Amino acid sequence: MKFFDKHVQGLRSAARYAAAGAALALMTGCATNQNLYEWGGYDAALYSTYKSPETVVELQTKLETHIAAMTQANQKVAPGLYAELGSLYLQAGKTDEAIAQYNKERELWPESRTLMDSMIKTLESRAKATPATSEKKTNGEVTS
Amino acid sequence: MKGFISRISTLLLLATSALLVGCQTTAPKRDLAAYEAANPRSIVVVPIVNKSLDVDAPNYVLSALPVPIAEKGYYVFPVNTTKMVLEQEGFYEPERVHEQPPETIAKMFGADAVLFVTINQWDAQYIILSTTVTVDFEYRLVSKTGEELWKNTQRMQYSPNNSNGGLIGMLVSAAIARAAPNYMPLTIQANSMALRTGQNALLDGPYLKEKLSQQK
Repeated sequence: MKFFDKHVQGLRSAARYAAAGAALALMTGCATNQNLYEWGGYDAALYSTYKSPETVVELQTKLETHIAAMTQANQKVAPGLYAELGSLYLQAGKTDEAIAQYNKERELWPESRTLMDSMIKTLESRAKATPATSEKKTNGEVTS
Repeated sequence: MKGFISRISTLLLLATSALLVGCQTTAPKRDLAAYEAANPRSIVVVPIVNKSLDVDAPNYVLSALPVPIAEKGYYVFPVNTTKMVLEQEGFYEPERVHEQPPETIAKMFGADAVLFVTINQWDAQYIILSTTVTVDFEYRLVSKTGEELWKNTQRMQYSPNNSNGGLIGMLVSAAIARAAPNYMPLTIQANSMALRTGQNALLDGPYLKEKLSQQK
């Protein structure tokens, strides 16, 4: 019974804090807290990836799921998310998938064009220089 | 009863402080002529210079930067991709990136402005009964022509105060905070205030302006 009481008390104080938080939010509520975008947990997943690099797969899955949901709902994908996913593909050796994501970023966000164009161009010329057999080049220079 | 009264007074205190913070109607005068004239649409965040002893701090802070900048209405270049691109160009040391002419970096990315962030402090001070976690960041926005547009600093402290648990409770919570201080809530709050909601935040970017004008 004692355990139960303690639990109820905890709940009560939690509720009190929640109420205080809500009141505070109302009082400071001059600034709009409406967001422009949905991020699908990108920032938290990026943090986790930096903390434990082996969780990079989770970042990738999160971005894929989130982008799919946004596309389904016909909502604009937040700045940078396509490109971040593309870079994860690139690091996993999936060049074609990377280029596809960079193209999407480029289409959606004109501000990204210079960077996306130069990355796509580099990847495409690299792919041409080393076709499917992927022979190793001793000379790192890639001529376009 | 006593506990109740003290809780009420805490609430009142919270309420008053909220009122004091209030709306952003009386922001201190700041010279933003260059910023307004440059009218940047896009911001590239370069890797962060770290003056603290925690080697992981820069990446953690970096992960909490894109959201407030984008929500303020700017196109923010993907931070992890930016890092990758810079490393491919041979920039592994944030200090070296910060030493480059901002024009060069902006040109490389096609960005209108470059944001430089420095961590001045990121630590937890142990004072027997409580642990104080401190973060202190410095932000500088430079245009693609090399002109400084805006700067800000943000210092935040947090002391988990478990006064309900008595002496043992305080010792335990201080020890936990000491062993694994959680910097992220504080870091997210600091970046959000410095860039998005504080009195010296960034100016509203194009995408936010667009949205606000649609709401009118």
